[in-house]
Amino acid sequence: MSLTLTVDGPRWRAHLEAVASANPGLVPVAKGNGYGFGLGRLARRAQWLRDRGHDVPALAVGTYEELDQVATRWSGDLLVLTPWRPWVALPGPTFGKRLIHTVSRLEDLRALLAADPRARIVVEHVTSMRRHGMTARELWEAGELLRKHPGARVEGLALHLPLAAGGHYSEVSRLITDAVGADVADLSTIWVSHLTGAELTRLRSEYGDFAVRPRIGTELWLGDRGALTVAATVIDVHPVARGEHFGYRGRSAPKDGHLLIVSGGTAHGIGLEAPTGEHSLRARAATIARGGLDAAGFVRSPYSIDGKQRLFAEPPHMQASMLFLPAGARVPAVGDPIDVRVRYTATAFDRVDITD
Amino acid sequence: MSTERPLTLRPITDDEHRAYLASLPGASFLQTPGWARVKPEWRSESVGWFGPDGIQYGAALVLHRQLPKIGRSLAYLPEGPVIDWTDDRLADWLDPLTTHLRRQGAFAVRIGPPVVVRRWSAAQVKEGIADDGVRLLSQVPPAERSAVGARVLSQLDELGWRHQGVEGGFAAGQPAFVFQVPLRTTDEAGEERPRTEDEVLKGMNQLWRRNIKKAVKSGVEVTRVATGTPEMTAALAEFHALYVHTARRDHFTPRPASYFTTMAEALGADDTDRFTLWLARHEDDLVAATIAIRVGEHAWYSYGASSTDKREVRGSNAVQWAMMRDALERGAAVYDLRGITETLNSEDPHVGLIQFKVGTGGEAVEYAGEWDLPLNRVLYKAFDLYMKRRG
Repeated sequence: MSLTLTVDGPRWRAHLEAVASANPGLVPVAKGNGYGFGLGRLARRAQWLRDRGHDVPALAVGTYEELDQVATRWSGDLLVLTPWRPWVALPGPTFGKRLIHTVSRLEDLRALLAADPRARIVVEHVTSMRRHGMTARELWEAGELLRKHPGARVEGLALHLPLAAGGHYSEVSRLITDAVGADVADLSTIWVSHLTGAELTRLRSEYGDFAVRPRIGTELWLGDRGALTVAATVIDVHPVARGEHFGYRGRSAPKDGHLLIVSGGTAHGIGLEAPTGEHSLRARAATIARGGLDAAGFVRSPYSIDGKQRLFAEPPHMQASMLFLPAGARVPAVGDPIDVRVRYTATAFDRVDITD
Repeated sequence: MSTERPLTLRPITDDEHRAYLASLPGASFLQTPGWARVKPEWRSESVGWFGPDGIQYGAALVLHRQLPKIGRSLAYLPEGPVIDWTDDRLADWLDPLTTHLRRQGAFAVRIGPPVVVRRWSAAQVKEGIADDGVRLLSQVPPAERSAVGARVLSQLDELGWRHQGVEGGFAAGQPAFVFQVPLRTTDEAGEERPRTEDEVLKGMNQLWRRNIKKAVKSGVEVTRVATGTPEMTAALAEFHALYVHTARRDHFTPRPASYFTTMAEALGADDTDRFTLWLARHEDDLVAATIAIRVGEHAWYSYGASSTDKREVRGSNAVQWAMMRDALERGAAVYDLRGITETLNSEDPHVGLIQFKVGTGGEAVEYAGEWDLPLNRVLYKAFDLYMKRRG
């Protein structure tokens, strides 16, 4: 009776190992909803990779609040990706010396060193993404500050690059030069995401005196989509005639057919849309087309039956959705699974089944 | 050292220029007033930076390379300017320079910051050549990356200067990669002291040491000829004859004898110790001849020639060793064998030259390279295209 993610275990694990082998120094990212799997499961899986002998020195979480869910399931270092701010209370000894802070402002560096002179720190350099991070000159000042705090443990330089694949190399090279200017020996580990394999290879070749730690989330956990199947369950089926009323809002059926009540609602993230990253003309046209359907009262749902995507009969409920199936289509039975397309990073599954 | 701001720039006389350089431990010989006279086809000027206190803080030799027909020029500061490159406010230095040069009709400025970016030990270079997977020096992790050098690169980038890479851009000017033998060392107490002759010898590979010994045993004699001495004219003629012979053998175009006469006179006029000629003879035969240049603590091996006969007496090694000892004796900190290509590909014909230099046991050094600031984008682009086609 649930929205279920079924994982082809052997295939998924083989993919995880392939990514880990291709990326020595891999820092798996386990943040947010845990890419649909949940944070705890990802932490255990990261530990499994480490236990299998892969070079996985640290696990990255998004926020300090997420640490609790991974800390007992993973034994290596813990990196928090969101930069530390002075209002973030320093966690207690639960995480011990395993915790590495990201620091993106000079004033935060000063405050953190004052609060914990032995803090482990990754210094973030601002990239063309302009989200968090210090400028070159701020890095140089940070270098001066760090030289005055020999107890501080600098773990490296963090670079958060934009998503576009390829074409980052000259930027990375420039950013590393900026960091060399800070004159901190320990800035020689680069924590970086979103570089292509070719770019990482070049980085390792031209910066052999640096350690490279690729932070990988999506490509690691969701990189082999074929290993993942998502299914909802048909919970109820009702025939309706054209003009008959139904639902919370008393809508009327546009024609004869069936109403299907299926698992998955707003609580799972179904029917909630984030702006897509796509900005091609085609993608925008699709958005407009969806808006048109919406205006007419018919919204395309992510559920499909026999390969055909079906319309929402009304907006999704909290844990279930109501679909309209026009007459002539095969009517699934109660208890049947049906396909649903989801955005993994925005979906809370009721169950995750991993086959052995 | 603190510098008074704001800095202003004005043309200076040769004497002011010489006096300023003499107050420094060293500078590139390409930034000396004498060098301007070695390049008479380029209009030149000396400029100086001054603080409000009236004190001079920097100097530069600018060579103006005229564009045909247009009357505008590329202002070229080879291995310069001589300013405080450790300053985090390079704009304060470079802005007055570019303003001045724009008024002089420059469509672009090219500089070559004399700042080290990376260093590799001789052993690292040797390993790189031996490794088939390594084709470029950049692929070998350097022994050192300089923070000062990195800050210069970051700032030039920030200020809109364009790095002139080996590929693309104008034909390469001064080489970014050179090979140098440090003549000073740091002892356990952290004090810098000159290396002894013995230490320098021990740093060389076995082949070099053996060849130096062999030269002594065979009776090779090396003589030093200083500028302003009566022997110079004859020595230059001897050098040039051997150099033309070398050019024919090694397939390069020799410079005319007048180039070296001018060089000796022009550099010698700045300082009688600047230009020296070295001749290695075996019995009565000249087997090797070289030109050495020194500015303060920096000594260069500049041009060299060697005979095809009597290679077994190792005149080239003998003359290099003599120049190194002389540099040590005169208090130089660096013996500079000048450019190497970045390639470590064992099949590249240039690799032999690197191997010869690496044998001295010094280090490969990368300088910041040459950087351009276009002042007139249209002319700059046209010139860039012209140079690419020509190259």
